[in-house]
Formats: sequence, structure tokens, C-alpha cells
Amino acid sequence: MAQLGILQRNELQAQGKYSVELKHVSKSYGETEIYTDLHFQLLRGTFVALVGPIGSGKTTMLNMFAGLERPTSGTILVMGQDITRMPEDALGEFRARTVGLVPQVQTLIPELTVRENVELPLFFAKVDQDDRQRKVDYVLEKVGIRGEAKRMVSTLSVGEKQMVSFARGMVNDPPILLLDEPTEALDPLMAEVILGLLRGDNLTLGRTVFVTTHDRRVTELARKTLRVKKKIP
Amino acid sequence: MSRGVTLQEGQLLARSLNVSKSTHLVVATLAAAVAANAAAAIQLIGLLGQISLLALIFVTLALGTSAISTDIYTRSGQTIANLRSIGASRRSLSSAVFFSVIGYGIAGSALGAGLGAALGVAMGGQGGAVTVVVAVLGVILASSAAAAAGVYAGVRRTWRN
Repeated sequence: MAQLGILQRNELQAQGKYSVELKHVSKSYGETEIYTDLHFQLLRGTFVALVGPIGSGKTTMLNMFAGLERPTSGTILVMGQDITRMPEDALGEFRARTVGLVPQVQTLIPELTVRENVELPLFFAKVDQDDRQRKVDYVLEKVGIRGEAKRMVSTLSVGEKQMVSFARGMVNDPPILLLDEPTEALDPLMAEVILGLLRGDNLTLGRTVFVTTHDRRVTELARKTLRVKKKIP
Repeated sequence: MSRGVTLQEGQLLARSLNVSKSTHLVVATLAAAVAANAAAAIQLIGLLGQISLLALIFVTLALGTSAISTDIYTRSGQTIANLRSIGASRRSLSSAVFFSVIGYGIAGSALGAGLGAALGVAMGGQGGAVTVVVAVLGVILASSAAAAAGVYAGVRRTWRN
């Protein structure tokens, strides 16, 4: 069973509003227990890092926040909405509007261009064409890949794909940004670019950023660090 | 399943799921082949034979298009998971495949039925012009409905699994 650090209760009460709330959440795969009776909250607008050994369930936690995996028991509220009991299609719309996900494994669509990949979440969030154009241009510019907009994703390097993935996660201006090992497998230069984006206020200010990482440079940016202490047997 | 996806979104999703020109061609030629044979034969047989023939068209095309739509989803399992992680719903994914495929089914049916009707007349079909037109419309309707039912059944089966 993994254990997590808990945010200070008085700090939570001072803010009063949470982006993510876990209420007695347990998660297991068959007989293997991943988390047992987790009960904590994340303040809106905070930058939280989750660290721990490989295979300790960090990605599972991230996926539960995104509604991609459901807990075995307990309740998860994201921006006040109970996602543990939300029907699948409603969950899809919720994700499109609320969560920006930058997964560790590349999930871009190789048959589409950079622009089309970044634009996809906006379709699912029912954003009209003019807004789509504006938002995609803005985020490509901010991430520094506007010049690559027409390239097919299949022709990009690992680092460039990570930038596109980051842009796709940010494009809908989500209140919650979930990043899974964002600097893993990147060369130092590309990792520095990602770190620069996380440092910069214009992309992360005002939103909850939850990141799983092994990278000390990322944890140093975080306001809080949660630790998964034990590896799953 | 008719709502929830715009044309542009549908095209992007269909490309993401590898619904290619080859897929469209398979659907169109399958529908055309069945409709052509039926439209020719329907002019040469009695009422009972015509009803049996329309039922056969329906079953054949529905099975074929169901297999095609199932194949699209099973080939694209990882892509579907990726799209769902950024907000795609079952409805939008289903609609994208449905509308991407069904148009070619209808077009193939219409083309095949036209060719089959001409062939039936050339082979000495007994009906007048009105009868031929009614037969052609019946074949197009049956094959289009079959294609739609098949694609829909394939989608449903995939989500159930």
C-alpha cells in the first residue's frame, strides 16, 4: 500500500476551494492494492509534484484525477464534480473542458499534423472555429512550435512531440493541468524548454498543476510535494 | 448517433482512426456489387422472389458493413484510448465512423442499382419504366438501410466488448 503526504488542513480551510478532493479513495488491480483510503485535497491554483519509485502508482493517481481510471471505492471530486459516478460520455466532455493531460507515453495521432493534434480537444469541447483558430495559434506560439504547425506528427523528434503534447494539454486553457513525467526521456535542451514553460507564469498561473516526476528540477518548482513511499509489491 | 460531431471533426476523427480511401472503396464496391445484382435480378423474378432478394441484400450488406466498422475500431484500439484521454466521447467516435462510411455505402448502392437496372432491361426484364424505377429505389433503400444497420451494429458490438 502506498502512502501520501497530506496538505496542511489549516491551509486548505484558508482557501476554502479545492480543485481535486479525494474522499476515502482506494484503488486496486485484482488482489494488488495500489492505494488505500486516500483522503486529501488539492487547492486551486497550486503546483503539486508527486514523486515516488517507478511502479508505485503515480500514473494511476494522475489517471484517476483525469477520470481515465476509476477508484475501486471512494469518491473523487474534480472542480467540485464527482467524476467517480459520471457516465462515460459525460466524463469525456468533462475532460475536454476541465483537464489538460500531458501523458508520459506519446498519445499524439501520427496521421494528423501538429495543428490538427492540438486542435482536437477543442472539437470535443465544442469550441467554435474562430476560437479554435485563435487558441491553437496562441498556444503554439507560447510553446514555441508555431513554425511546425503543418508538419505531420510522425516526422517529429521525441522532444518536439513532447512540446506538441504540452500544447495540446494547454490549448483549452484547462483549470487543471496533469503532467506525467514531463521531462523524462528528453535531452537536456528540450527538458529545459519544458521547465521554462512550467516556470513561466503565463501558462501555469491560476491553474492547478499536478505533475508526477523524478526530476528534482521539477519538484523545486512545485509548491507542494507528495511522496509515494512504498513500491507496489 | 446522428448528433455530436461536426463534418470537420468527423473527418479528423476518421483520419485518426485510419478510415482511409481504401475503406471507402471497399464499402462502395460491396454495396455496388450487391445492388447491381439485385437490381438486375429483381426484374426477372416474381413478387416472392423479389421479397426474398431484398431480404438477402439486407442481410449480406449488413454483415459486410458490420465487419468493416468492427475492424476499424479493433485496429484502432490505442488511438481510441488516446482520443478519449483528451475528451472524445463514444458518441463522437461512433458518429465519425458512421458518417464517414455510410455516404460511400449509399453512393455504391445507387451506382450499382442503376447499372443493375440497365442490365435487367437488357436481359429482357418484363416491367415498364415505372416498375424499373420502383425496383431501383427499393434496392437502394434496402441496401442503404442495411449498410447503416451494419455499421451501427459493428459500433455497438465494439463498445460492448
